[in-house]
Amino acid sequence: MEHGGNLVNRTIMLPASVDEAVEALAVTPGAVPVAGATDLMEAVNAGRLRPAALIGLGRITELRGWRYEDGGTAVLGAGLTHARMDRPDFAALIPALADAARTAGPPQVRNVGTLGGNIATAAPAGDTLPVLAALEATATLARAGGVREVPVSHLLTGLDPLRPGELLTWVRVPLLHAPQVFLKSTGRSGPARATASVALVLDPARRGVRCAVGAVAPVPLRPLEAENWVAGCIDWDARGAEGAVLIDPAALAAFGEYVAGACVPEGGAHGEGSGSAAARLRRTVAVLARRALGRALK
Amino acid sequence: MTSATELPAPAPADPGTGTTGLGTSPLRTDALPKALGIYPYAADLWAEGLLWGAVLRSPHPHARILSVDTAPALAIPGVHAVVTAADLPAGPDGTPDGAPTGQVTADRPVLAAGVVRHHGEPVAAVAADHPDTARLAAAAILVEYEPLEPVTDPEAAFHAPPLHPDGNLLRHLPLRTGDPDAVGEVVVEGLYQVGRQDPAPIGAEAGLAVPRPDGGVELHLSSTDPHGDRDRTAACLGIDPDRVRLVGTGVPGATTDREDLSFQVTLALLALRTGRPVKMTLTRAESFQAHTTRHPALLRYRHHADADGRLVKVEAQVLLDGGAYADVSAEALASAVAFSVGPYTCPNVFVDAWAVRTNNPPAGRMRGEGALQACFAYESQLDQLAKQLGIDPVEIRRRNAMTTGDPLPTGQAVTCPAPVGALLDALDTTPLPALPLDDPEADWLLPGGPGGAGDPAAVRRGIGYAVGMVHMLGAEGEDEVATATVRVSGDHATVICAAVDSGQGFATLARQIVQSVLGVSEVYIAPVDSDQSAAGPSARSRHTWVSGGAVERAALMVRHQMLQPIAADFGMSVELLTINDGKITSYDGVLGMPVSEALEGRELWATAQCRPHPTEPLDPETGQGDAFVSIAFCAMRAVVDVDIELGAVRVVDVTVAQEVGRALNPRQIEDRIEGAVAQGVGLALLENLRTEGGVPVNASLTGYRLPTALDTPDVRIAALLEERDVVAPFGAKAVSAVPAVVAPAAVAAAVRAATGLPVGRLPILPEDAIAPA
Repeated sequence: MEHGGNLVNRTIMLPASVDEAVEALAVTPGAVPVAGATDLMEAVNAGRLRPAALIGLGRITELRGWRYEDGGTAVLGAGLTHARMDRPDFAALIPALADAARTAGPPQVRNVGTLGGNIATAAPAGDTLPVLAALEATATLARAGGVREVPVSHLLTGLDPLRPGELLTWVRVPLLHAPQVFLKSTGRSGPARATASVALVLDPARRGVRCAVGAVAPVPLRPLEAENWVAGCIDWDARGAEGAVLIDPAALAAFGEYVAGACVPEGGAHGEGSGSAAARLRRTVAVLARRALGRALK
Repeated sequence: MTSATELPAPAPADPGTGTTGLGTSPLRTDALPKALGIYPYAADLWAEGLLWGAVLRSPHPHARILSVDTAPALAIPGVHAVVTAADLPAGPDGTPDGAPTGQVTADRPVLAAGVVRHHGEPVAAVAADHPDTARLAAAAILVEYEPLEPVTDPEAAFHAPPLHPDGNLLRHLPLRTGDPDAVGEVVVEGLYQVGRQDPAPIGAEAGLAVPRPDGGVELHLSSTDPHGDRDRTAACLGIDPDRVRLVGTGVPGATTDREDLSFQVTLALLALRTGRPVKMTLTRAESFQAHTTRHPALLRYRHHADADGRLVKVEAQVLLDGGAYADVSAEALASAVAFSVGPYTCPNVFVDAWAVRTNNPPAGRMRGEGALQACFAYESQLDQLAKQLGIDPVEIRRRNAMTTGDPLPTGQAVTCPAPVGALLDALDTTPLPALPLDDPEADWLLPGGPGGAGDPAAVRRGIGYAVGMVHMLGAEGEDEVATATVRVSGDHATVICAAVDSGQGFATLARQIVQSVLGVSEVYIAPVDSDQSAAGPSARSRHTWVSGGAVERAALMVRHQMLQPIAADFGMSVELLTINDGKITSYDGVLGMPVSEALEGRELWATAQCRPHPTEPLDPETGQGDAFVSIAFCAMRAVVDVDIELGAVRVVDVTVAQEVGRALNPRQIEDRIEGAVAQGVGLALLENLRTEGGVPVNASLTGYRLPTALDTPDVRIAALLEERDVVAPFGAKAVSAVPAVVAPAAVAAAVRAATGLPVGRLPILPEDAIAPA
């Protein structure tokens, strides 16, 4: 069935707080929380999803902003829209997330699509996901009578999935106060789905580089060996000095190849592509990773 | 501050100029309501007690229908009728399951019977009291299919078992002229591929059918060919054409035929069956299945040239994928063959072209069908020749450029203005756009778009040139005619003409024509319906010519009736009187009389026809013949930036020089050119309705990538050459199709220049534009 009156005689609840929302989830099995609905309603309209009930999260204002914790962590509401994350105050805090939000789609989608929705949908090309993976963000899952904290990457991979009755409420992101870059390749100038994306953050306090590649696999991939290797190639002490060369250009290129080799297997990213398609994707990832690190260290 | 629904004060009719009539640029009268979103389209129509229609479509590209059980659908409360092919009256020759229909070639069933030949082919339809009920009921119809192996490779169609009683070869057209043994000093060969472009109109198909007391039906939809569609609908319903009335509604985008026949026949059938008004609006996903696309093409070319780059011989093989039904494939093929060499002279031309049937989505009319595919191939060949000979790409085009009087390879002399060289020269009078700066504030200028991964160090700029041509009006002996009526009463005039303003601006043009001839400022354009005299389809760039010509003649006849008595009174000839701003004046200024006074309360009417000179079919053996009424020419320069590491392409600027005969409404011409360039850029870089085993895989506006404002370049008009075409009304040529024909070739040439790669297919994918640094 392609179409249908999917919402005829169906329940829609509009809780005003997280407590009300988890209560509604607990008492209505099969209810689906909905925020911006940019992915969810497409699935409903196409007949792929027929939720028994919808819980609209739009009235929960507490989830639409962020707060600080311990001086080093930002706690982002799941209801933060892409448009909000693109604003200068947010971009100054977590630049890579702002970059990802800015390129996530046309303004109509960015105005309503949320951070929590991007995680819950877990689309391979979800733009904020590689950034959250690189930042090693964690998610707060609320349920009636309690909360738990799960790394976002565990949610995405299904290692520790969202359980029935749980609502994604907050995302914890470390504030690194250092350059961060998100780059995506789409093949066009207008908004589009990424064919590959790379998020890269510097962590000068720990002298680390963290990187994640999006859209080439069902979940963002972390090239951990490449990260460790390249962190050792960077002249951390020269940071901030006028005209300092932080990394050998050859190391930049090698980093790109290293990342691509780690994230795009031979013989196709999705298992079915021809060898040349995989080679092209590798090349694209290598270019993105090289440029991302180059921009971060500029 | 006005609210959104409140109309701002109307803008002056023609800002800046202060005059009306031809050559000025009045605004379209529907521009403001369309911009405000209050202009009514078919999807906005309503009738008391209406039912909602829904169509069940085939999930298979090729299958035998073993059985159709409509009982489960009829059992759903609220369902009023379910129709299948068995409900259609027998065809004229007694064929059961309805007469086949189609543009040009009638080979398509309204509802599939026995076999489905493409994914999304309509099989049954439902009328119910709620749109969701109708859709649920359509889904409840049980159809048992026996899937058959689909023929999806056009090259395989030749040898595949026939997919249709008419066979798989829709047309084969050879062209032979000159010496087959001629040999040039240089030879270049190429294989070119063009993908499947979808018209993707902004408004999906929608319509309302209302049964009439006389057993007929009234159809309200955005048809672009009201009379043709009326006749074909009546034939399928087995009723007299006079009992079918098509009422034109606003057309939400048409670069092709609007509303496929199956849609409107099914709608009419449901209304007749239930005796109630039936409304149907297609979803975006259905819309992709319902309308025809551009013909995917495979073109193999071999150009022979002398050492100076002059063409000696062109050999070509052209294969068009017509999809499941013939539609206009035969016409498209004629265009591809006749314009296979482009606007160049070449003494020896040998072409073989085929249009074949496959189980892919049906292809049909779409701006410059056939001519566009050929243009990409011959212009790519010229680029190759220029590279091989070390000649400038513009110079090699200039050396071969056709001029007025030169023959086409079909033997027809091009008698209309053909200033190809002058168009090329005009391009370079417009300066090139500035280079992008290595400036973080300017990163939005880079390929990949704002916030993209673009890196100035990897960006290469390319400049490409292309020239192209396309014919206007029906070809190969088609009877081209339009009828129009003009009425004057009081101080205003009315135009009754069934030429649909599909967005091309015909209503504005008709108003200008009447203003010019009759000197009245207020001109009302009557809404189109099929009870008016026929004006033919809004296609093949014909309304400016035939319908515009008919309006002018009718207006001239009214003018004569009005001025004749006055001229007689003053003992002077009608030619010595002029009408301006509603006032009749004589050459010597003695007479000055308002039009309303001259009319003395009378109404003056006149009806006239315009029928251009006849054409003849192309010879089936040699492809020779005077097949075209007139030809439009356009030259373009495209400037692109390519990120050669990622293969991202941004078209920075497209500069256009076009032969327009006479600019009747310069602003409207510029709008049309901009729109056509955007569509051409879409085909060049983005748009491709991909299929896997005959099933479209990206039939949504998420998957099918239309150019957005960020993908669309600055379009600059270097020149609109105005060399009057003496046989055309007003001397004007149509303007919309030819820029769409040339733009993809120009963008491809620019990408070629930037990357040094051959670029043999459209759309150009990132992987085709990744070049070694």
